[in-house]
Amino acid sequence: MKIKYAIILVLVLFVIGAGVGLKMFFKPHADISKMEAKYKITAAKLIDKFQSFEEGATKEYSEKVLEISGKLVAKNKLPDGTDLLILEDEMQGISCQLDSTWAANNQSVIQNLKNGSPVTVKGVCKGFLMEVKVSPAVIVK
Amino acid sequence: MKKFLFASILLVASVSAFSQGKYISKNAYISFYSSTSMEDILGESNEAVTILDSSNGEIVFQALMTTFHFKRALMEEHFNENYMESTKFPKAKFKGTIEGFKKEMLTSPVSNIKISGVLNVHGVDKTITAPGTIGLENGKLIATSKFKVIPEDFGITIPSLVRDKIGKEMEITVKASYLPYGQ
Repeated sequence: MKIKYAIILVLVLFVIGAGVGLKMFFKPHADISKMEAKYKITAAKLIDKFQSFEEGATKEYSEKVLEISGKLVAKNKLPDGTDLLILEDEMQGISCQLDSTWAANNQSVIQNLKNGSPVTVKGVCKGFLMEVKVSPAVIVK
Repeated sequence: MKKFLFASILLVASVSAFSQGKYISKNAYISFYSSTSMEDILGESNEAVTILDSSNGEIVFQALMTTFHFKRALMEEHFNENYMESTKFPKAKFKGTIEGFKKEMLTSPVSNIKISGVLNVHGVDKTITAPGTIGLENGKLIATSKFKVIPEDFGITIPSLVRDKIGKEMEITVKASYLPYGQ
């Protein structure tokens, strides 16, 4: 009798284990629009932090969700259709690649953005390569 | 008259800057692909930054490891945490030159080239020579390259448990669309 229970227990554990494993394996990408920003910062300050001490800023901000407010200076579409917003400075500013799902549902928000106007985005900071790279991102306001 | 003089100086200055200046792409595409019977792995980034010096054919290329995207979130996690150790080595870098570089290569239709230089991945330097193309495509200066690397050459250890799922060689594909850069 005891053996029967043991077998059932092992089977149950196996099913749970397999379920957890499969769930982890097929875990979807995080949805940036639902994530909470760890830091709120202005675009100018973030750029300054990376330009003055890249290593420290990378440790502090890389792979973190940031809410960044600044001036929109350019709006582009990459060859693969990704919407790209550039804040503060076209060459050495902040480059934000918008989340494709979010962008598909919010084209009017993107189109209404004017160069030179203030914008707030939320996105994952990826580090610094001449400019601060943020992707994926969504427009907060 | 003064205005005209000023305008012509400006024009001459900008033309000369263009012809001897640098070209940049801030959203160059780079991918690596490995295929085995068990699993195809494709990581892609369109956030690489590259600068091409038109005076000597020197190319610098940098990519942030964390900008690579994969089909599955778990692959991305393993890539950054287990294999590339992205917090320790956040960037992959390449610095090299186009062999037999001539300025005309940048203003004529696409031609085949060879690029040789030093590739730094995972903190390890390796000299490579890669085939590629450069030239005008629909009015844009486009450079491409495709070559293979072996992860173990860069000190990247892949556990034997998953070694069969990851190809022995990774095929790297690069594509950049350059714009003139600077004054």
